[in-house]
Amino acid sequence: MRYADFGPHDIVLLLNGLGVSLTLFLTTSLVGVVLGALLAVVRYYRVLVARELVTFVTEMLKNSPVLVQLFLVFFGIPALFKIDVTPFEAAFFTLALNTAAFVYVIVVSAVESIDREQIEAGRVFGLTRWQVLRHVIAPQAVAFATGPLTALLVNQLQVTSLISVIGVVDLTKVGDILNMRTLKPFIVWTVVGVLYYLAAKIIALAGGFVERRLTAHSAWKGL
Amino acid sequence: MIRIENLKKAFGKVTVLDGIDLSIEPGEVVSILGSSGSGKSTLIRCINGLERIDAGRITVDDFDVSNPKELAEARKRSGTVFQLFNLYPHLSALRNVTLAPVEVLKRNAAEAEKEGRALLESVGLGDRADAYPAQLSGGQRQRVGICRALAMKPRYLLLDEVTSALDPEMTAEVLEILADLTGRGTTMIFVTHEVAFARSISDRIVFLDQGRLLVDLPCETFFAEDGGMANARVAQFLSKMRKD
Amino acid sequence: MRAGRSIALTTARDAVETEIGFTRTVAGLNLIVSDLAPHIALLAQGALLTVEVCVLALAGAVVVGAAIAMMRASGSRLLRGIATVYVDIFRNIPFLVQLFFFYYGLPELGIYVDAFATGVLALSIAGGAFASDVIRSGILAIDPGIVEAAQVYGLSRRTTFLKIVMPIALRLSVRPLGSVLINLILTSSILSTITLNELTGSAKIVASQTFRPFEVYAVLLLAYASLTYLLSIAIARFHRRLNRGVLEAV
Ligand SMILES: Nc1ncnc2c1ncn2[C@@H]1O[C@H](COP(=O)(O)OP(=O)(O)OP(=O)(O)O)[C@@H](O)[C@H]1O
Ligand SMILES: [Mg+2]
Repeated sequence: MRYADFGPHDIVLLLNGLGVSLTLFLTTSLVGVVLGALLAVVRYYRVLVARELVTFVTEMLKNSPVLVQLFLVFFGIPALFKIDVTPFEAAFFTLALNTAAFVYVIVVSAVESIDREQIEAGRVFGLTRWQVLRHVIAPQAVAFATGPLTALLVNQLQVTSLISVIGVVDLTKVGDILNMRTLKPFIVWTVVGVLYYLAAKIIALAGGFVERRLTAHSAWKGL
Repeated sequence: MIRIENLKKAFGKVTVLDGIDLSIEPGEVVSILGSSGSGKSTLIRCINGLERIDAGRITVDDFDVSNPKELAEARKRSGTVFQLFNLYPHLSALRNVTLAPVEVLKRNAAEAEKEGRALLESVGLGDRADAYPAQLSGGQRQRVGICRALAMKPRYLLLDEVTSALDPEMTAEVLEILADLTGRGTTMIFVTHEVAFARSISDRIVFLDQGRLLVDLPCETFFAEDGGMANARVAQFLSKMRKD
Repeated sequence: MRAGRSIALTTARDAVETEIGFTRTVAGLNLIVSDLAPHIALLAQGALLTVEVCVLALAGAVVVGAAIAMMRASGSRLLRGIATVYVDIFRNIPFLVQLFFFYYGLPELGIYVDAFATGVLALSIAGGAFASDVIRSGILAIDPGIVEAAQVYGLSRRTTFLKIVMPIALRLSVRPLGSVLINLILTSSILSTITLNELTGSAKIVASQTFRPFEVYAVLLLAYASLTYLLSIAIARFHRRLNRGVLEAV
């Protein structure tokens, strides 16, 4: 197969890789966003030590290379706990946690951006903590966080390319395979790059759309 | 000399200068008065080429400001002192003063520095030459600004409300320096709201109103009842100024 | 204070258990230290390589970033367009793909450079896209009056840019450029995939030699996190010192 030229099957291969990348991206983003937001809520409720612990873990995740995190989960955890971890599982776990760390920070600063007086006013009017969270904090925080979240997701899509290093056959791994087989690096990596680029643009567009909707909404609702 | 002929300038649909004719001879001190928004700053910015003019002609010693090739020469002949100082924040007072002489006039750096120090000395900043603008008071900053202009040995000094960002005490110290300059025969075009000071140093007073040059008279005549004061707008302006 | 109270409240049995747990942890730490000790030299070498790569890449990124920022501020539509496309491309394609593009592509062009040079090049190019944003906001933050002063005194566009605009913009950019550096450090771990044995690459070797991947990668993760944390503090301090009394007036 060496020196073999491109064939129509390669398109299927590329699309498969893209599918794996996008699947992991979408699922880990979803889990990461939910988990990160939940952790931020925990912070809001001031659960004992949970706050310090979460801060420590998120800082570690934010300030170390994702590749090292992947290695720790994929090579380290099986060795320590004597369990099997597939590349896909390791990738999923790492990316979800990593995304959650960044989401946590974004959500916390979004909540902090809200005027304290509004929260106090809500309490004074007899709203419960949950009602304040639901009707005062959440809508504003979501509008505030959409921009940074979009930037984060565009970035996290690119981060998924690292899972090829531990053997997940994502878009980058397919590129690697095609590169080795055809020995045409420029064509292969340009095509792979363009696919990532297009995906990133779609995410950015979607984020921009949501942001416009949300800010229009909150502007209308504002007093 | 600075010659302005039928100068017109508009920002979008708003006409700001509407047919100004004015010439200033070397050695003259001309104050430009006028209420806020009358176009004084814009006039200064047209003379030093910061605004493109829409019609008419401005020449500085026969160099046409609108001609890109002549603008550099025109600019070498005039020095501007800004209302908000606009010093280079990353350079010491001395370097603020010497930058243009070295870069534009290609002066020898050591010489320029010597002259720069002497200039700073002359405005009472001899010991602050190495301070950065942020370490100086407003009055000190403006004195550096004046030195920066003088270092280019300009024939004409353009000053746009150079004391309006300063408190009275600092204003006094800067005005003192300007008064001193007029004594040495520097040509000055002086936009100000300090009417009393303008009266004390000017040879001529020019009054702008809504982009038109309403009055252009020798200083004494301008303040005389049958001179400038005969103009209703001028009288109104001056009486308002006195009240403030 | 709280710690003191909780110790006072613990029962004797708890204290004993804590003691045992503590001993165990110390033993574990000892194990890590003694197991890793013979490999410290290799790891240190790797760390040094990481530092070298990142310092060079930072310099490259600032040069590229300044050039791109200049192009984006220029009057030419073409230059502005090129700069915008550059930033868009290199910010939206994974670094690993960019790296492979250069690593496998350059020899194709007859350019044979080692993994180190390839890594520095790729990091400079990608970092330049980020640095250009930072420097651009530095430029936009400059009071236009300062640039007008330079114009009025006859400084050429070039001199104004090199002696006024850039020095101020770079000063304003120290802290955000520090974030670019931290990103470069984290991203440089990816160079281990093109056979460069920087910190992560040498840790991979140690992990396979000691059969203790968890400990090795946990230590590595801590090392990166503390390194970047300390660096961010140092940068913030440097930024403040450099700009103290200089830039309030901007
Ligand atoms: N860059 C600009 N764009 C649009 N309009 C401008 C601009 N600069 C000045 N103007 C307008 O031109 C008019 C004259 O402004 P100018 O600054 O010359 O007045 P001024 O006589 O200096 O007033 P002041 O005494 O308040 O300094 C004002 O109406 C102002 O709003
Ligand atoms: Mg004005």
